[in-house]
Amino acid sequence: MSWWKSLVEAGAVPGSGSKGEEPEAAERAELVEDGELRAHAIPEQPRVPAAVAFLNGFERWGVRAYDGVIPLVEAYVAAAVRRREGRGGLLALGVRQRRFAVAALAGMTPKLRQLLEQSAGDIEPVDAEFVGQPARYLEQVETIVRRARAHLERELAEATIASLGAEDWLVLDGLLSRSPAVARHPRALGVIKSHGAQFLEGRGLERALTLPVRHRTSVFAVRGGHTRTETYSWYLRLWPWEGNDLLYGLLRIEARAHPDSIARASELSSWLWSERAPLATPATRWDRLLYPLHQVEEYLNALAPRDVVPRSSRLPRLAS
Amino acid sequence: MNAIGRVVATELKPATPHQFHFWTAIETSIGIGAIVKVGGSGTGEEGRVVYGVVTEGFAYSDLATPLHDVVGAEGDPARAAEAPTTRQQIRYWTAAVLRQTPEEPLQPVPLGQVFVADDADVAQALRMDTFLYSATPTAIPVGLYTSGGRDAPVYLDADFLLGPEAAHLNISGVSGLATKTSAVEFLLASIFAHFPGHKGRIAAVCFNVKGPDLCFLDQPGDLSDEDRRRYERLGVPAEPFRNVRLFAPLKADGVNLNTLRTHPDLVGDVEPLTWGLQEVVDFAEVLLNRDDIDAKADAFIDFLRDRVLGRTFDDGFGGTHRVQTFADLDGFFRSVFDGLEIMAGGRSDTWRTHHIATMRKVRNRLLNISTRCKGLVTDDGASSDLPWKEFEDRTVYVIDIANVDPLGQDLVFARVVSKLREQLERRELGVDAVVVFVDELNKYAPGDGPDTYVKKMLLDISERGRYLGLVLFGAEQFRSQVHRRVVGNAGTQLFGRMDMDELATPGYQVLTPATKSKLATLPIGELMVRHPHFTQPIFIRFPKPPVLRGRDGVERFPPAADVPFDDAVVRQLVRLDRRVRPNQVKDLIADREQEDVRRALAAARQKRPDDAFAYFRKVLGARVESEPHLEREHHAVPPLNPISDEPY
Repeated sequence: MSWWKSLVEAGAVPGSGSKGEEPEAAERAELVEDGELRAHAIPEQPRVPAAVAFLNGFERWGVRAYDGVIPLVEAYVAAAVRRREGRGGLLALGVRQRRFAVAALAGMTPKLRQLLEQSAGDIEPVDAEFVGQPARYLEQVETIVRRARAHLERELAEATIASLGAEDWLVLDGLLSRSPAVARHPRALGVIKSHGAQFLEGRGLERALTLPVRHRTSVFAVRGGHTRTETYSWYLRLWPWEGNDLLYGLLRIEARAHPDSIARASELSSWLWSERAPLATPATRWDRLLYPLHQVEEYLNALAPRDVVPRSSRLPRLAS
Repeated sequence: MNAIGRVVATELKPATPHQFHFWTAIETSIGIGAIVKVGGSGTGEEGRVVYGVVTEGFAYSDLATPLHDVVGAEGDPARAAEAPTTRQQIRYWTAAVLRQTPEEPLQPVPLGQVFVADDADVAQALRMDTFLYSATPTAIPVGLYTSGGRDAPVYLDADFLLGPEAAHLNISGVSGLATKTSAVEFLLASIFAHFPGHKGRIAAVCFNVKGPDLCFLDQPGDLSDEDRRRYERLGVPAEPFRNVRLFAPLKADGVNLNTLRTHPDLVGDVEPLTWGLQEVVDFAEVLLNRDDIDAKADAFIDFLRDRVLGRTFDDGFGGTHRVQTFADLDGFFRSVFDGLEIMAGGRSDTWRTHHIATMRKVRNRLLNISTRCKGLVTDDGASSDLPWKEFEDRTVYVIDIANVDPLGQDLVFARVVSKLREQLERRELGVDAVVVFVDELNKYAPGDGPDTYVKKMLLDISERGRYLGLVLFGAEQFRSQVHRRVVGNAGTQLFGRMDMDELATPGYQVLTPATKSKLATLPIGELMVRHPHFTQPIFIRFPKPPVLRGRDGVERFPPAADVPFDDAVVRQLVRLDRRVRPNQVKDLIADREQEDVRRALAAARQKRPDDAFAYFRKVLGARVESEPHLEREHHAVPPLNPISDEPY
């Protein structure tokens, strides 16, 4: 018998998994519900709002050329919001797209820089300090692209809540706190799948990470985004983690920092729990990806220009 | 016009010159069999327009594996429906190209928008414009193409339906759905309404081989408003056939008609069909089964036909015969057999080089028919026949042989078709083309089994009839079991609802599974059509025929019981001459032998005198036989060429 089977027989929970997400810095959360973090069972019968808008973003980038050792990158970011109505289908409410170049302009040869500025039009600069360090340079490019995508998502989210119907909800993929206006909206929720940032510690963290399926944690307050806007948050387990890893099927939900969010946390969790079906396969993180958000992502994927797809083959190109 | 779809092509499923794929909204009006147009209205590639018919449909979602649906619903199918978001799904269609304009150079279908076809598009798609809008149109409406609440008339080209370019029609489908017979009835009405004047005169001969199917073609049926609208759309009068002549053999009593149309209101229109020896002997081959076929029997029949029938003949034993009836023939055989027995002392078994066994066999077969088909075949030589050489334009001649012995059915079929062929060949029938409708081809022209005379005759019509104007409209339940040259020569083919077993046979391999599925569930009144101008099968809907269906006819006009002999005689004489007074006839025949009365009646039917009663009384006074004025001109119909090559 393997050593771990003995441990499981002795009371350890079977699991699986390997290297997880990159850790991120996070402030400690302040519990706003219960005296200590607890697990709450969520109601059996979900109350799904009649109309919900789902917002997600998309990014794609790749190196197109080199000026010396400076990678010249082409990037595409987009965000879309699609509204679900009575029959369960999603219709696009709005789309924002941006196609731009990323390059360390300051380090480029004058001729190529001039040509790039004339032809690309939209350019995001990279600090010259990263030139000569390809790995850091590309990390910086990724950060720039991600920031551009977040900007589009924020713009679109703000535009969406401005036109949201009286009973409509907005569910967005990621932090609610990116935009103070969105974070304060009474019918906006952020759904976070990545758990690199840990807001809890000790017994509370253990309870959150071993949260049973169909349970939520107590609500706690967090600050996020560059605006440091406060939101209320809680964890929700969509699928049983036993046999998988601690983060399997675990979502962190963000809602406005308001007592109403605490009062409705279980009801909202029940609704979001019902969104786990249909499965968002074949996405690799389908256990944490709500299907409508997956559909918005697929929609954006379909809209994306084909020519910004990076080459899949690394075989040397043959001379024509 | 709004686009309803868009052509898409992938490396695995590209658009080709003959096929393309497109997607539509989930809720769409099109389905299998719908005709669509790609391009046009400024959306095509430099004006290229492609017409296609939908042959396959697919629906799928972004579900990677069915297991994911099970997991999402936690194994409970009821919960699967509770998911707030429906999966992204697609309606994806495959269409076969019907036509491209311009036709050259032939290129893959452009990846353009897809539109629903309108009337003009349907005409273009099915290449009907060439015969619909020409200086001498030859279009015959066959039904309405319907899709998404629209309908458009579909036409057949008379040159390809009725000759000379191609001809013949074959219709198959399961029994009991009132489609095959109804479709032919409607199509005949349409042909009569639209047969182009420049092609001459046309008539139809229909063999009623089961029940009362074709007995009420002159009676109006019940039509719905929708049917009437369809008639109007197709330009066909919604009325029964104006000119119908119905023929039926007599029953064994020789006076009552052997048909289900014996209601007193209608029976007067039924004409007796009776044949004598002369009519039968030309088709003696029909009466001989496979075992009988030998050169000796054939030679003896030829001998009878050439040397004995209708001539004064000395049998060599002292007897002189003039054989004109079965009774005369029987007498002739008796005389010969007695002669051989008495004169030759039983030592000789040949007469005029013919063996006595051969003569006995031929005698038995010939005399047997007068017994088995008594009523159709008369023993006294008098015949009542179709109006040869006097066929009328746009007239249906129905021959009701539903209750006749199968041997008699074969005889009727063989003789009528041979006469039609002969007279069309000589251009003396009275019309230029005749449609012959034969149901139950599975019985008359099976793919396997012996080569009967009837089957050979059907093959002959199929292969050569179009040059003569002799057009076969055949119907059967199982097309795969009909002789392939009979169905293969049918230029136009109609399919009603088909049995799945039948659809699994090789003849249907060209159809997609979706088309087969549609064929297996076709409702009453819908057909799939193949026609030389249509590059793909097309689904159409035809209106209910404007005539009384056989079953309804029997309910509305219940068949009368057989009437007594004297009443039946009166009825037939009144049919010849309305002035005939029943009591006069009854008094006249009260003390006469029935055989004499039948002879006199047959003579009156044949003569059709102005004063039927006077003529009847005159011939009743004497033995009606061998009178010069009754002798008919006899044209032996030459046997079919393929048959004449046979060794028997």
